[in-house]
This record gives sequence, structure tokens and C-alpha cells, in this order.
Amino acid sequence: MPRFDTDTYVQGVLNGDRRMIAKTITLIESTLHRDEEQTQDIIGQLLPHCGKSIRVGVTGPPGAGKSTFIEALGLHLLENKRRVAVLAVDPSSKLSGGSVLGDKTRMGRLMANNDIFIRPSAAGETLGGVARKTRETLLVLEAAGFDTVLVETVGVGQSETVVADMTDFFLLVALPNAGDELQGIKRGIMEMADAVVVNKADGPFEDSAKQAAHVLRSALQLMHHPRPDWDLPVLLISARTGLGIDEVWKAILRFQGAMTANGVLQARRREQNLEWMTALVREELSRQFDTHSEVRYLLPELRRKVSDGRMTAVRAASMLMQAFSVGQTT
Amino acid sequence: MSESKKPSLDDWKAATEKGLKGKPASSLEWSTPDGITIKTVYTKADVENLRSQDTLPGFAPYLRGPHTTMYAGRPWTIRQYAGFSTAEESNAFYRRTLAGGGQGVSVAFDLATHRGYDSDHPRVVGDVGKAGVAIDSVEDTKVLFDSIPLGTISVSMTMNGAVLPVLASYVIAAEEQGVPQDQLRGTIQNDILKEFMVRNTFIYPPTPSMRIVGDIIEYASKHMPLFNTISISGYHMQEAGADASLELAYTLADGKDYVKTAVERGMGVDDFAGRLSFFFAIGMNFYLEIAKLRAARMLWCEIMEDFGAKKASSKMLRTHCQTSGWSLTFQDPYNNVMRTTIEAMAAVFGGTQSLHTNALDEAIALPTDFSARIARNTQLVLQEEAHITHVADPWGGSYMMESLTQQIADKAREVMKEVDQAGGMVKAIEAGLPQRRIEEASARRQANIDRGLETIVGVNKYKPKDEKAIDAFKVDNKAVRLSQIDRINKVKASRDQSKVNACLEALTQAAASGKGNLLELSINAMRVRCTLGEVTQAMEKIFGRHTPHTSTVSGVYGKVWADDPQWLDLKKDVDAFAAKEGRRPRMLVVKMGQDGHDRGAKVIASAFADAGFDVDLAPLFQTPEEVAEQAVENDVHVVGVSTLAGAHNTLIPQLIQELKKKNAEDVVVVCGGVIPQQDYEELRAAGVADIFGPGTSVAVSARRVIQRISGQI
Repeated sequence: MPRFDTDTYVQGVLNGDRRMIAKTITLIESTLHRDEEQTQDIIGQLLPHCGKSIRVGVTGPPGAGKSTFIEALGLHLLENKRRVAVLAVDPSSKLSGGSVLGDKTRMGRLMANNDIFIRPSAAGETLGGVARKTRETLLVLEAAGFDTVLVETVGVGQSETVVADMTDFFLLVALPNAGDELQGIKRGIMEMADAVVVNKADGPFEDSAKQAAHVLRSALQLMHHPRPDWDLPVLLISARTGLGIDEVWKAILRFQGAMTANGVLQARRREQNLEWMTALVREELSRQFDTHSEVRYLLPELRRKVSDGRMTAVRAASMLMQAFSVGQTT
Repeated sequence: MSESKKPSLDDWKAATEKGLKGKPASSLEWSTPDGITIKTVYTKADVENLRSQDTLPGFAPYLRGPHTTMYAGRPWTIRQYAGFSTAEESNAFYRRTLAGGGQGVSVAFDLATHRGYDSDHPRVVGDVGKAGVAIDSVEDTKVLFDSIPLGTISVSMTMNGAVLPVLASYVIAAEEQGVPQDQLRGTIQNDILKEFMVRNTFIYPPTPSMRIVGDIIEYASKHMPLFNTISISGYHMQEAGADASLELAYTLADGKDYVKTAVERGMGVDDFAGRLSFFFAIGMNFYLEIAKLRAARMLWCEIMEDFGAKKASSKMLRTHCQTSGWSLTFQDPYNNVMRTTIEAMAAVFGGTQSLHTNALDEAIALPTDFSARIARNTQLVLQEEAHITHVADPWGGSYMMESLTQQIADKAREVMKEVDQAGGMVKAIEAGLPQRRIEEASARRQANIDRGLETIVGVNKYKPKDEKAIDAFKVDNKAVRLSQIDRINKVKASRDQSKVNACLEALTQAAASGKGNLLELSINAMRVRCTLGEVTQAMEKIFGRHTPHTSTVSGVYGKVWADDPQWLDLKKDVDAFAAKEGRRPRMLVVKMGQDGHDRGAKVIASAFADAGFDVDLAPLFQTPEEVAEQAVENDVHVVGVSTLAGAHNTLIPQLIQELKKKNAEDVVVVCGGVIPQQDYEELRAAGVADIFGPGTSVAVSARRVIQRISGQI
């Protein structure tokens, strides 16, 4: 891939050059250390231009119709003259490392419009990596002038926490069925949600969607912490017919207004910045650990010993940390 | 010779194993892709207690054939499907076919027509006249059937998406020939459910599409009693990679849903069921394909009895068959004549009512006159030289065949049960169930072939030393499009616009209200020279256009290859690229234009991902500009274009131009699929980096892609 100097990337993004936006995101996604360093320079220069969008996280169990919902919401936003960026994080296959990035495939109606930019990314190996890369990508798109950023993540594993930690509004898309122990949605995700939408409330599923909404409402009353100035809405939508999409968007705007007025949004972003810092430190520590020569030397042998039961995990960890800290000071 | 004890199966086993040097006799057994075990020898024990054994042709459950005398009374109908780019050329072809012994005509339409677009629509620039004839208005249909007596010659139309305007234009063309509706005989495919499953040439979403099916069945049962309103098709499922039992089960399950739709409208089963016909693919799995047709008749009879059908004609499954297009090879293409002959024999032994035999070059392009003649003669030789026709159900009573028939029926019952549990076919399709099953079967089969575990002569074994390209029929797509547009303009200039508006408005109203028969209203509209695109649009305003939800399977292809040294080398190359470049190789897999056959694209996407690529799969029906935009946004290293329908000469150079416009010359473009050798040079000149013909394994093509994008070649 051709690489450019920092200024080319920065100017390209600020000018809204779609190819340079894409190339900058690629640089962010790179696993090469030198690319990471350049990325930090670029983000540093873009930061003053960021922060002006509303950031919406979208999660939900597989099959809930997140992509079709985003497609419908995206079309609605375009009609409302918003400029929309969509980030979709796809899980990579553990086996091959490769992946099929299918989200965009399901957003056919959003294509070929200058006011929308969709970028699916492979989650890659580490969750921490997803966090940093998605956050930085989000900033790039803000700097490029997109005023609404939708971050889609599949609602399994830990990635939804990561996305909730970088967005203003966190939305849970649920399936139109009431049973199945609340569709296996973890309590933690319920607690993070600022709104819940029940998709596919059309045709044969209309009744079960209504019922699901009812069950979700009562479940949320039990488990949700009340928030100042906000009653958590449970909305019925159909991504297919467009039913309820306008209400979702109105709820997001209402939330933004109320939370800006009472200062919660600003506080949330401050909190997220601290989280970001912590995450960056953790990631860098982890990278240093993984590339530390002494650690790399010891690790295979210690793994074998722990796995054979010849050494306790605690003992091995302590030896590794000692080797790591010794290496640090020399 | 002394009167010794009759040898038992154990004796056979012992004798066999002596010859096998210690290996068990079961080592000779073969398992079909469906998981049915084909044994070395079958005995009476295999057919004991079979319920439908020892029945007769012409009697329920019709396992042995729908008619008492089968081909001894009347041979199957030779029906050759053909479509040329223009109505004139197709018409000339039909006349030659009828004069040469053909007994019916079949129409293939171009993709623009299938998807309800007039030839002047900007989305179909590369599709007009490719893979079939373009129909924009009744004027085209009249030319298509000029001098063909529609009251006596049966016409089969492969049309599903734009079924209303196309069927209506046929009715009007006949009307203007002086043939009333009740004399029309023939078939329209009108099987929309399988389109959502495999072929993707739909227009509207499933629910309004099912209303259209219901309207057609209802209208025809009153006005067109000799016309087959629906041809429930498994063909495209097999072409998309389904094994025989999946094809059988999903086809019958589709049929069940259509019957249910009509019954729910208050029609009596016996009023329409006799006009339902079927369409199966016949591939190279000789015994199983025969068993499939026999089992299909038995199962359909059971299904219809459950619906309370009384008339014999309601319970007997009648079918058209076509030899498998997928089994045809691009390499060593004359082998295709033998393949088609073997498949045709299986179809005939299975008791088909009509048959299309593929032309040897059908894997590459529309047939030439020469290849079409060989294909038709294959059937004539079977009918008139081989004395096959004298016996009805010649395999009846064979231990092997009766046992296989039962086994595949049982397999299909299991799959149908799964569909029932999902709430019927519409719901199963919405949940993506049959799609997933077919895709898995497809990826597994492709991996087996690519790895050489399944033999295809001339492709992965006994390859010819030097390949001689055969002449392929070439369509001048631009000229066709211009002449179609010219005809549309003439039609629009000479019609009564106020009548046109009224008819279109009536269609929109009926779509919105749910009242009125959409076929009747479409016939009115086509009579006053509304175009196909206008009729489609009038309903699209209310129904919307369906967007498919593409999914892919993962891990299936890679699993077959897991321990292959070639594959391990490829994965090493991919990892090395990722380590050097900072990210995995990223490829955008696309189909452009209106071609919805996405089996190839999906297998490629899933196989490249298994090899470690990050793969973006573009939505179907994209224009070159949309694809270029996606390539830029996703910043891919390479775009892989999958092409089958012949639109590559127009669309691929356009894609490369669009990439240039966006300064994205660094994106490498490769293509694969059905591309005649004669087009290679033109494509390379336009900037295509590599072309992968059919039969190139992913282990090879992925490696070449890696080399291309890292600048090694």
C-alpha cells in the first residue's frame, strides 16, 4: 500500500477527500509499529476538529437486523440533511484470521452517496486493538465533517462495552421474540442501553414484536438504574417498512438535548477520554510485554511447565513480570 | 453341476474381501454428497417392507410415472430453451427448431427484463440482450412469436420477477394473432420462492410476490385452463450447489407453500393443482438422479393427499428436466456432449415429461446453431434410435433403484420437517435456513473438486495438453440496446397516453388496496402499450424493491483443504503479506449488473476468507461506479469481479475507468467466472490484472492475487 506524509493525510481528511479518509483509516488499522506512531501524529492534528458529531453505538444479538436498521436510519438521516458515517466491526475468524465483512452488503440502499461513508473493519485479534482503532477512526470521520457517527458491533463477547465507552448514545436492537431468557442479552448490555428497539415489527412478526417490547419494558424497569432526565424508551420499528425510524432519531436528539443541558453528555465524554488514556496505556504495555526479548525467551518454557502442572500459574506470572521489569530498567 | 446351497450375502462378502487383500467390503462403498451410502451390491433384503414397491405407472403414488404407458405411448417433449439478444433472432431460431423436430419453444429473457427494467434504464446498460431476449413491450413479444401458432405450440417462459408484464404481453401477442386465452398452452416459471433462495432475480419482497403468484393461479384457473401457471423449480438450487435431497425437499416445500397460498384464497385444491408443474436439474450422479424423480412423484402425491386432493391430475407430479449447466466445463468442452447425454438418460429413466439438453458451449455463452443442433439431436437419438422408449419405468423392481428411491425420499422428508418446524418455506427463507444449507453444500463440493477429490475429466484430471478455444456466440450488447431503445421510443410516441396513465394508476391502486387481480390489470396495461418497466414501476411504488440479505458460510472450504501442502503454503504467504503490510490482504468480491447468480461469488468470498483474506462482499446489482466507490471507501487491495452473464465486456472496463477517476489506480482488478477466451485480450487491454477461468482452484488464484498485490508479478 502506498503511504503518504502526515500532512497529506491530515489535509486529505480535512478536505473530505474520500480516498484519503479511507487511507487514513487503513493506517489506523495497521499493525505495524511505525504506522501506529504516524497515526498518533495525525490524530493529534485532527483532534481540534473533532467532537462535533453525535456518536451512536448500535448493538444487538446476531440476526436482530442491526445492519438493516442502520440502513433504514441512515436513509432517514440523509433525508434530514445529516452527513453520516458508519463503522461496522466484524469478528475475524479465529482459525484463519480472515473474515467476510458482510455488513455493508446488507446496506445496499446506502451506497453511492457522498453524504455517507461506511467502513467495515475486521475486529482482528485483540479487543484492545478494536477499541483504539474504532475510536481513532471515529475521530477521523468527525474531522472529515460527518456529523452523525454510527458504530455497529455484534452483541456477543465484550465488544459492546468497548463501543458503549466511546459513544454518546447506546442503542440495543432486539429480536421480535419475547422468550428465550430475553434472547440471551446480557444484563450488562441492558444496563448500558439508552434505548431499545424491537426490529421486524411488521407482517408475521408484528404481534410477537409487540409482546417482546412489553417484556423488555418490564424487565428494564426491574434492572435499569433510573437516569436523571431520561426515561429509557422501548420502540417498535421495522427496518423493512421504515416504521418507527423517525421516532428513534427523535429520541436520540431528545437525549442529546437533555444530556447537554444537564451536563451528563460532557461528563460522559470526559470519562471516556480518561478511559481512552487508560486503554492506550494498557495496549502499549501489552505490546511492550509481547515484544520484550526476555519475556519471549522465557514464555515457551513457562507455558509448557504450567500446562504440564509442573509450575503454578501464579509462580510463572510472577517470573514473567520480574523478567519484564528487569528488562525495563536496563 | 451339483445342487449346492444358494450363496448368501456373507458368502459374497467373504469372496469379495479375499480379492481386496484384507480391506473390508464396505471400503468399496461410496457416500453421495447427501450422505446416502451407495453399496456395491443390493439384494432382496434391501427392498423388503418398502411401502410403494410393486405399484404401476399411471396409478398413485405415481412413483413409476404419471402415465400408464409412459414413452411407449408418447415420448417426452423435446424442449430447447433458447434466448438470443433480440426478438427477431429468437424468432428465427424457434422457426428453425420447430422445422427440425422440436415440439415446443422455450424463452430465455435477458436480465434487464427479469428484473423489470426497460432497456433504456441506466442500471442495465451492461445487461440488455445478454443471456436472453429483451422484452420492453408487446411489440417485442409479437416479433418474438411471429408466425408461431400460439394456439398449438406450447411455450415455456423462464420468468419469475417480471412475471406479470411478460405473461400479459404473451396473452396480448396471442390475442392479436387471433388466439383466445383459453387455447394458450405452455408454462411460465413463476416460482418466486426459489429466487429468494438462490437465483436472486426477484423484484418485490416475498409477501407481495406471493400475492402475485396467487393472482396468476386464480386468473389462469378461470381464463387459461390449459396453461401451467407455475413451474416449481429445483433446477437453480442444484445449480447453486444443493445436493439431490436438498433440491428435492426444498422444491416440494415451495410447492406446498404455493398450494397453501391458493387454498387460503378460497380456491379448491382440485381447481388448480393440475396446472402446477415441476422443474428439476439432472446432474452427473446417475442413479441418484433417477431415484430423485421417482421419489419426487411419490412424495408429491402424499403432500397433495394431505391437502385433500381428489383428482388424479392434482396428485401426479409432472416435470420438466434440464441437464445440469453447472456440470458443463469450460475446459475440453466437447466432453460436455457426453455429460449431457448421460444426464439426459437419467432424466428419461426417471420419467420426465419434457427435457432440455444443454449445448456443449452453454457454460460459456448462448449456444451457436451448431451446438444447439447437437444438443437437440442427443434427444432425438435417445428417442428414435436407442429403443429406450418401449418400457415404462425400466428401473422398476431393481433392488438398488427401489432402495435408493426410498432413501432419498426419507432424506427429503427430514429436510421438509425442518422447514415445517420453521413455519413453512417463506419463514424458513426469511430466516435464511435453506440458503445456509445450500451454501454449505456448495462450498464443500467446490473444495472437493478444487482439491481433486472429485474427478472432472479435462478439468482436474486428464487435462488436455493444449487447449483450443471454441467459437462462442458473441452479443453486440451496445447495438441491441440502441435498437431496443429505438423501439421503446416508437411505442411511446404512437400510444394513447391517457389510456396508459389510467391502466398504470389502476395497477398502483390495486397494489395498495390488495383488491383486484394484478394479472388482469397487467393484461389491460400491456394491451394499451404500457412498457414492462412502467408496469413494474406502477406496483413498485407500493411494494418496494426487495434487497437481498447476503450471508456467507465460513470454514467449510478451508476444512476440506486443511492439511494440503498447497493450502498451507498459501496461508503462509497470506500471513507474510499481513506481517509486512500491517494488515491482511483485503479483497472486494463483486457481481455487477442484474445477474443474481451469486454461487461463485459466495464460494470465492468464503474460500478467500478461510485462506486468511479480509473479504468485502458487495451487494448484488451494483453499477461500476458504486463498486469503485466501495473499493475506495474500504481501501481494498484488489477487486475480484465474478461474472457469468456476459456483461463483463461492458462493465469491467467501466469499473477500471471509475477507479481511475477516483485516483484509485492502486486497486488491482481481477476477474473470474464464465469468460470466453476470445474476450481475454480485450479485458487485459482494459487493465484487468488477471483472469481466472472456471476450474482455477482458490489455492492457485489466491496465491496469484497475493503476488499481484505485492507487486511480484
